[in-house]
Amino acid sequence: MSKFMVIGERIHCISPAIRQAFADRNPAPILLRAKEQLDAGADYLDLNIGPAERGGEDLMQWGVKLLQENFDNVPLALDTANMKAIEAGIKVYNRSKGKPIVNSADAGDRIEYVDLAAANDAMVIALCSKEGVPADNDERITYCSELLERGMERGMDPLDLLFDPLFIVIKGMQDKIVDVLEAIQMITDMGLLTTGGLSNVSNGAPKHIRPLLDCATLAMAMQCGFSSAIVNPCDKRLRETIVACDIIKNNILYADSVLEF
Amino acid sequence: MPYKKTELKFSGKTNVCEIGVGDAAISIGGEKTLLFLGDEGFKPAVGIAITDSTEDWSDCFTTIYGADLKNPAAFAKAAVAKSGADFLLLNLASADPNGADNSVANCVATAVAVEAAISIPLVIEGCKNAEKDAKLLEEVAKALEGKNVVLFSAVEDNYKTIGAAGGMAYGQKVCAESAVDINLAKQLNILLTQLGVKSKDILMDVGSAAAGYGFEYVASTMDRIRLAGLGQNDESLQIPIMTNVSNDSWGVKEAVAPVEDAPEWGDQEARGIGMEISTAAACVVGGSNAIIVRHPESAKTIKSLIAGLIG
Repeated sequence: MSKFMVIGERIHCISPAIRQAFADRNPAPILLRAKEQLDAGADYLDLNIGPAERGGEDLMQWGVKLLQENFDNVPLALDTANMKAIEAGIKVYNRSKGKPIVNSADAGDRIEYVDLAAANDAMVIALCSKEGVPADNDERITYCSELLERGMERGMDPLDLLFDPLFIVIKGMQDKIVDVLEAIQMITDMGLLTTGGLSNVSNGAPKHIRPLLDCATLAMAMQCGFSSAIVNPCDKRLRETIVACDIIKNNILYADSVLEF
Repeated sequence: MPYKKTELKFSGKTNVCEIGVGDAAISIGGEKTLLFLGDEGFKPAVGIAITDSTEDWSDCFTTIYGADLKNPAAFAKAAVAKSGADFLLLNLASADPNGADNSVANCVATAVAVEAAISIPLVIEGCKNAEKDAKLLEEVAKALEGKNVVLFSAVEDNYKTIGAAGGMAYGQKVCAESAVDINLAKQLNILLTQLGVKSKDILMDVGSAAAGYGFEYVASTMDRIRLAGLGQNDESLQIPIMTNVSNDSWGVKEAVAPVEDAPEWGDQEARGIGMEISTAAACVVGGSNAIIVRHPESAKTIKSLIAGLIG
């Protein structure tokens, strides 16, 4: 089994500091967050430039080059609603450390993001949804199959699609969380890979409760086959949970210093 | 449906460790697949062992080496000439405080004389007393600075001294020794790296056993280490493996029992060689990037096995 893949989520235009840095083309805040995440063990970095309707292509290219030139061609997830910006980013992307990830497609309006990934030999995060959160696992698996077919018709390797079952917020939809875990198991049983934005599960919960919910969900999801996540790798408790689960699943070999390396 | 050949793809690569200097230097490791699986033509290196304490060595070695057996420099030259080995291991068992307790200075002098006598890379094996080996291998590293020898080996109790002296101060290679314990093998590599020794300057001895004496544990250990390094891209295990099978192979009853005690087993020398070749071949197939044997015939046979498999 492969080691769990961590996609660092902290370069996100929702953060005022990052949004300002994007606007000013100021490298320092972006490089700082990239370094923190890589030091904490991130495998991929998500580069979220927001909707970026104007100037998105130029901004994405700037961001891709900035991160890859400073961090030994770190592999990236290109995250925006602007397809042209993703395409532009891939044009300047160096693949030596891994394919770019298109973030993200769904089975509805965003299905063309699969086409974009296929045309550019990229991976893609495929949300198992069409309009909003899927009602149940019948819907999830239907959308998963639609996305898979779309990709394979266009020549994609099934393992280049990372299926996101859509984690549900515990506060409010507590009874549906088990569905998400089952969906991960079903997708894994199909021989496919999964990912997801984990932190949604604890949205609205107090600060001291959130890490607990995130870590427990992650551990239970990994047991169901969950293979990567878009998370904050600087969350020490979460990072340690991933390492511990990787050891228990025999994804990495145990050593006493396993947290330090 | 058309046939689609599925190939197991590995994302990792074993480090290349260069030992020796100049034209005589050799590279150990570097493979991107399990040994003999790929078509990259990677060849494990074969070393020949000599020692400064031949009391326990089988009589056949007296026949092979004669008086050279008592003179390490001459012994080394003869061993290289008779075996055609890629490198030589000098065992300094005389240093053992529970044995002859030879002084560090005497042992260092032996190492220097042997180094000067041969033109292939050198591996220096201590006496397997952690405290004495720390002092001994530190001084050997100092005396042979610039010769790029392998200090064989650092264990949990002395890795700091041997790692700091060999891998850092005097630019030698350090072999990290664990006894068929995958977790400790990984841990020692991490500790040496944290100390400041570069990964490319580390080899690992993950332990061995004579064939038939629990070798399945050795096989699974090597397998697990290689799969972690290549398949899981675990950098702390992408270290070439060096294995000395000579002591184990020549220490079991099949090699030790004289023909009078076990006439049905046949010639004693042939039995020893047989044990050594079986063990060495199993290690090479299991993942050893460098294998060390005692009998020149064993060295030749393993070399021809490797050549036969790889071409």
